[in-house]
Amino acid sequence: MAERKAMIKIKPKKYKVGDTVKVDFVVIHPMDTGMATDKETKKVIPAHYINEVTFSFDGEPFTKMTIWESVSKNPYFSVNYKVTKKGKITVDFTDNLGEKGSKSKKLKPKG
Amino acid sequence: MERRSFIKSLVAVSTVAVATPIMAKEEAKEAPKKSDTKGPNDMPFDVALKAIAGDKEVKESDKVKLSVPEIAENGAVVPVKVEVDSPMTEKEYVKAIHILNTKNSNARCADVMLTPANAKGYFATRVKLAQTQEVVAVVELSDGTFMKKGKSIKVTIGGCG
Repeated sequence: MAERKAMIKIKPKKYKVGDTVKVDFVVIHPMDTGMATDKETKKVIPAHYINEVTFSFDGEPFTKMTIWESVSKNPYFSVNYKVTKKGKITVDFTDNLGEKGSKSKKLKPKG
Repeated sequence: MERRSFIKSLVAVSTVAVATPIMAKEEAKEAPKKSDTKGPNDMPFDVALKAIAGDKEVKESDKVKLSVPEIAENGAVVPVKVEVDSPMTEKEYVKAIHILNTKNSNARCADVMLTPANAKGYFATRVKLAQTQEVVAVVELSDGTFMKKGKSIKVTIGGCG
């Protein structure tokens, strides 16, 4: 399967070393609960949801999440991070069917 | 003889014709039950809370700020924001934020493990709610104590199937 679309946003856009930024992560994923039925085929849609998300900076994880199916479709997660130096923020995610994905964004503090 | 068999067949047809709508009704009654079938990992709220906190006491606290809408028109997308008043130093920081609900079939939404690098006890996401219920944020601090804060949300249209 093609790689899932994901996006990382750092807010605010301009930041310095020592600032606390908001790291927003969105991934396009159906997040099926295994309880809904397909309206056309009348069959239960099997469960398919993201269950693990890890935020890391230069390979060092700083936030780990366990996600359950009650999280909305196209899930959005937001955490804070204190900028200490230049580097790369990577978000890895795994779903219950073993599908893996990853997205990175460079952290470029100014000043 | 011909007439007799004709009447017999007529009776048979009519009984079938009467029987089928009843059958159809029964099926229709059963159909919504099927959509109620429990999800893959069901967990009532009490069990979920015990799985997180164990036997420890979970106190209501104002240190936990939970921002949720009072009325959610669409239960499929309910924004939830949790902020915890904490210095986030190596000695004292927010270890975990758990988001739970009280009436979905699986009470757990998300478990977030934070570290001092986060600088703030903050987590935001969007959850699905099946019906009007309460969303509870359970916060674990680095010294092993638990705090919680709950808010009820009115859901107009459920979002779980």
